Amino acid sequence: MFYLRGCGRWVAASFTKQQFPLVRLSSDSAAPRTPHFDVIVIGGGHAGTEAATAAARCGSRTLLLTHRVDTIGQMSCNPSFGGIGKGHLMREVDALDGLCSRICDQSGVHYKVLNRRKGPAVWGLRAQIDRKLYKQNMQKEILNTPLLTVQEGAVEDLILTEPEPEHTGKCRVSGVVLVDGSTVYAESVILTTGTFLRGMIVIGLEMHPAGRLGDQPSIGLAQTLEKLGFVVGRLKTGTPPRIAKDSINFSILNKQTPDNPSVPFSFTNETVWIKPEDQLPCYLTYTNPRVDEIVLNNLHLNSHVKETTRGPRYCPSIESKVLRFPNRLHQVWLEPEGMDSDLIYPQGLSMTLPTELQEKMITCIRGLEKAKVIQPGYGVQYDYLDPRQITPSLETHLVQRLFFAGQINGTTGYEEAAAQGVIAGINASLRVSRKPPFVVSRTEGYIGVLIDDLTTLGTSEPYRMFTSRVEFRLSLRPDNADIRLTLRGYKDAGCVSQQRYERACWMKSSLEEGISVLKSIEFSSSKWKNLIPEVSISTSRSLPVRALDVLKYEEVDMDSLAKAVPEPLKKYTKCRELAERLKIEATYESVLFHQLQEIKGVQQDEALQLPKDIDYLTIRDVSLSHEVREKLHFSRPQTIGAASRIPGVTPAAIINLLRFVKTTQQRQAAMNESPKTDQCLRNADRLQERQFLLSPATLPRRTSLTDTFLTLKPTLSPGRASLKASWCISTDFTSVVTLTGAKVTTIPGLRTPVSTRPTGTVPIPKNIYSILNTYEGR
Amino acid sequence: MRNSKPPLAVICTALCQARSVLSSIPYSYCQSRCARTLKIRSHVARGTTFRYTHLHRAPASLSTLHQPMEAKIFRWWAGRILRLCTRRSSGAAAPGSGATIFALSSGQGRCGIAVIRTSGPSSGHALRILTAARDLPPARHASLRLLSDPRSGEPLDRALVLWFPGPRSFTGEDCVEFHVHGGPAVVSGVLQALGSVPGLRPAEAGEFTRRAFANGKLNLTEVEGLADLIHAETEAQRRQALRQLDGELGHLCRGWAETLTKALAHVEAYIDFGEDDNLEEGVLEQADIEVRALEVALGAHLRDARRGQRLRSGAHVVVTGPPNAGKSSLVNLLSRKPVSIVSPEPGTTRDVLETPVDLAGFPVLLSDTAGLREGVGPVEQEGVRRARESCNFLATVVASVGAQSPSDSSQRLLLVLNKSDLLSPEGPGPRPDLPPHLLLSCLTGEGLDGLLEALRKELAAVCGDPSTGSPLLTRARHQHHLQGCLDALSHYKPSKDLALAAEALRVARGHLTRLTGGGGTEEILDIIFRDFCVGK
Repeated sequence: MFYLRGCGRWVAASFTKQQFPLVRLSSDSAAPRTPHFDVIVIGGGHAGTEAATAAARCGSRTLLLTHRVDTIGQMSCNPSFGGIGKGHLMREVDALDGLCSRICDQSGVHYKVLNRRKGPAVWGLRAQIDRKLYKQNMQKEILNTPLLTVQEGAVEDLILTEPEPEHTGKCRVSGVVLVDGSTVYAESVILTTGTFLRGMIVIGLEMHPAGRLGDQPSIGLAQTLEKLGFVVGRLKTGTPPRIAKDSINFSILNKQTPDNPSVPFSFTNETVWIKPEDQLPCYLTYTNPRVDEIVLNNLHLNSHVKETTRGPRYCPSIESKVLRFPNRLHQVWLEPEGMDSDLIYPQGLSMTLPTELQEKMITCIRGLEKAKVIQPGYGVQYDYLDPRQITPSLETHLVQRLFFAGQINGTTGYEEAAAQGVIAGINASLRVSRKPPFVVSRTEGYIGVLIDDLTTLGTSEPYRMFTSRVEFRLSLRPDNADIRLTLRGYKDAGCVSQQRYERACWMKSSLEEGISVLKSIEFSSSKWKNLIPEVSISTSRSLPVRALDVLKYEEVDMDSLAKAVPEPLKKYTKCRELAERLKIEATYESVLFHQLQEIKGVQQDEALQLPKDIDYLTIRDVSLSHEVREKLHFSRPQTIGAASRIPGVTPAAIINLLRFVKTTQQRQAAMNESPKTDQCLRNADRLQERQFLLSPATLPRRTSLTDTFLTLKPTLSPGRASLKASWCISTDFTSVVTLTGAKVTTIPGLRTPVSTRPTGTVPIPKNIYSILNTYEGR
Repeated sequence: MRNSKPPLAVICTALCQARSVLSSIPYSYCQSRCARTLKIRSHVARGTTFRYTHLHRAPASLSTLHQPMEAKIFRWWAGRILRLCTRRSSGAAAPGSGATIFALSSGQGRCGIAVIRTSGPSSGHALRILTAARDLPPARHASLRLLSDPRSGEPLDRALVLWFPGPRSFTGEDCVEFHVHGGPAVVSGVLQALGSVPGLRPAEAGEFTRRAFANGKLNLTEVEGLADLIHAETEAQRRQALRQLDGELGHLCRGWAETLTKALAHVEAYIDFGEDDNLEEGVLEQADIEVRALEVALGAHLRDARRGQRLRSGAHVVVTGPPNAGKSSLVNLLSRKPVSIVSPEPGTTRDVLETPVDLAGFPVLLSDTAGLREGVGPVEQEGVRRARESCNFLATVVASVGAQSPSDSSQRLLLVLNKSDLLSPEGPGPRPDLPPHLLLSCLTGEGLDGLLEALRKELAAVCGDPSTGSPLLTRARHQHHLQGCLDALSHYKPSKDLALAAEALRVARGHLTRLTGGGGTEEILDIIFRDFCVGK
């Protein structure tokens, strides 16, 4: 405890010291009056901190704008991180060198792996976190990040400029206007405003605007976004009351002790900062019929529950639990808020009843008879932006270089926010340096599933990660997140440190080598039985059994295997993590083979990119039903794979899109062959359906001009003709497109298109009419 | 181009792929022994002789084609296909991995030759297995092989097989074509045999085309209109699949899928919420019981389905009406054999007589029934009862004047007025207030063409367009997925790694939902949140 206190003071000291660069920045007379950054991150929550540090790690000069610097890293709801599915996300954030996992390894007070008995693919790393420590450690980390500046201020508006022509979007964001009227310019802007967009706090029948209890909401920003044409929805969430620790009778409650040893969240940590015996326990109690009674009798005093704003299908509050599952006892976990905190967080008791009724209800519960409510539970209603308006890189379709991450996209949970934050930070930075976006596919990680679900399907309830949402659950495990993402993060995004990258590379090659060694060792089943007596291997099989297959048995681990076959397996037991991961790989080996095939199929579909600037509502070259057009228009899928996941998009529509993609690819290939004519082609594209006159290939032999002219659609299906052509001219005589290799054939009764490849434009000669007349004369 | 002479079969495939009206001609050539050495030129020259042999079942448009026109079109096709065949593979991605797919590529119905195609990495393996481990035939050459069932070793058919190693194939992957005899038994036998080869599965709608596309093999801008064709094809296949699922099997499948989805949802809930939230006791045990019961039901169904597989394929057509209207004469006329005894006496037919016939290219089970009348002996009454019962089948031909619909209106009815030879040519026609009807004389055969055409239309509506979805293929699909589901369920062992067990259920559900549709994650979540109080 002593150590802790000291630590806290030290953090505070370093915190004040770190503010100097900021002060210097604003007072530096040599600096431009309006500061200019690469990336601005608005919001200092879990998405904002990850986004800001990720952008800075990628090499962008980043500004983190927040209402209050001292709330950076605030855990506004439950005092825990991780869980089933969420633990996976944290591992992936860590694999991309994100913060939250490392901070959690320094701030937890109770570490536990959930689902221990259900297979390593669904293990859920989880920890109770000391709020204060987390905040301190996070602020220390943020203020020590190179290239990252932190500034206090509320953003009122966005500065918008002309769009870049090579991207879609009706305008481009180039900075922000603060409440005090000052402006900050930046190349990219990330919005991570959480519940602050028109946030409204509800307790009983009272409602007042606030993003979090005690913090002002962002109203100007919400209006700006709405004015820009973003589709805004409304969601609600809630938080339980906080109870004084010393008013609870823990002695009569079920105690849950932490794991021993603790499993750290981060790949870089061997262990966590605190010993298991020093960690704090959690306690379990249950609701009873009297709780139900209080809820049911006071529904008229509970506007949050009554209102139509869509809440989740799952039960977030005690009111919805009682209403949807009456006559049941519901669990209440009493979780510590921190080492030196006097508060207890009753997990499962989210409520929005009037304050005095909250106290009344809590005292009905066993163990809480004398409990004192320090802070009442409350509900929050807030704006979210339909996530189908953003791309998988989290950039908005409407406004170029504007990124959304976190609860603003309709998610719930710290981990979901952090995961989006990392991706938004990386992509905002990549966008500035004009590199291709960093997109995690569904086949690569939970992050990919999260973002793909959001951007293609949208959400109507706060989106929470579950392992059941993940198709390739056995491949996307918490143990192998580094191999899935660290290598890519290093190469494609540049957000991963050299040290972490080298570690992941070493792990990858060791695993591959270990698996091939395990595959190469083959003995008869009876010999295995002699070597490892405890294994229940069937000796009836005559085929030799590989060491990898023996490792699949539950009772065998690398240690027992290495004892049986010391050479060459002994060296793989030296690193505990490696030994454990080999065991996990062996467990899933047979299934992973099949899953790999499916993954390849999905990836093939995802490799087929749909053009970004395609206007589904008006495009004529794809035959699509109106309904499908609208769906595609709204979600703007980036790939054929994503399009096929949108409900209501038929296989026929997909085939048609596929056809479109292929022809577009061909067109692009043609453009690459003759790069000079890019502009001409684009002009030609704009001239949709314009009439073109096709000249004959063999000019001198022509006798009549009119009978060989034809209509050319310059986009996809260029038209038909019965002659060879070398150039064509638009009917309004404003441009000429030269064609080479245009093969034009036709067969009676069957239609074939022309394959034209425009190679250049020539300005229309002023004497066009006389030229035409000359032709006519011939 | 000159020295790479493509085998004729390639043309056959491409033609049938394009659903050319001429598809029947090349098939007949495949039967001919000199198929391998035939040249395109001689093909065109001899095409005419074969034309007439197939005229009776070729689509109507063929018979209207003039010979020179036809030859011209065919020559054009040959040229196109030559080009398709010899075009170098494009620089697109290497042939995609993934499953190997198979499908009946030719039309449904009793045709001389049916073409079954596979595409994917296991094609060669499948070919070797079906041809009893002989070496692969020379690439792109037709060779005669005896196909046998890999499980039982029972010979299936003597067939022409063609081996197209990728990337020089239609899809760019390894492809095999089996040109088997067109009987439903042979086709379904081969399809089932293919389905039993590990790594092979029936193709989804439009999947061959998609693969060809993905490998840069098919340039749809070159063959304009093929996109529309695929559109029609996938839509028709979807409709076909839905129609097939309307029956009893569909009902069963949906029931199973529901059970499985629920079991899976409960296992998923146990994984995602088992530790934090209080699920009721015995969630896993309940799921386990349900899965085991499902396994038993599926196993029983599959054993049963295999026996009944080849029995009947096709629509039921029941001829019914008042006594002495000429129902039996009509049946005899349609089946071109004396199925029923015919006499001028009313009530000659007392039982339901069924005979399989080929009506306008559709396999049909034609039933002759007793004339509907009251107040006769108990034997005939029983016949009448049976006649009414058999009207619950698909298509119905109502014979003779004035007969009202004997069953509810959901069935397709065709009103046929027999004995039109008795109408005097000058006299008044049948009563004007009759519903739409056909005039027929079984005696003179007048009106038979009209009846056949009307039947063809009705059957096409009932069975689907013969050139798109095939009941045989759909059935093979059913069996494949049901077997896949059963296999996956056998891997469900919740006592060990629960993630693995859930994966087995996911795979099993994936197979069932291929048949029933649906199958998203949202369904699972819906059930979880409906059945359990979870969340915080």
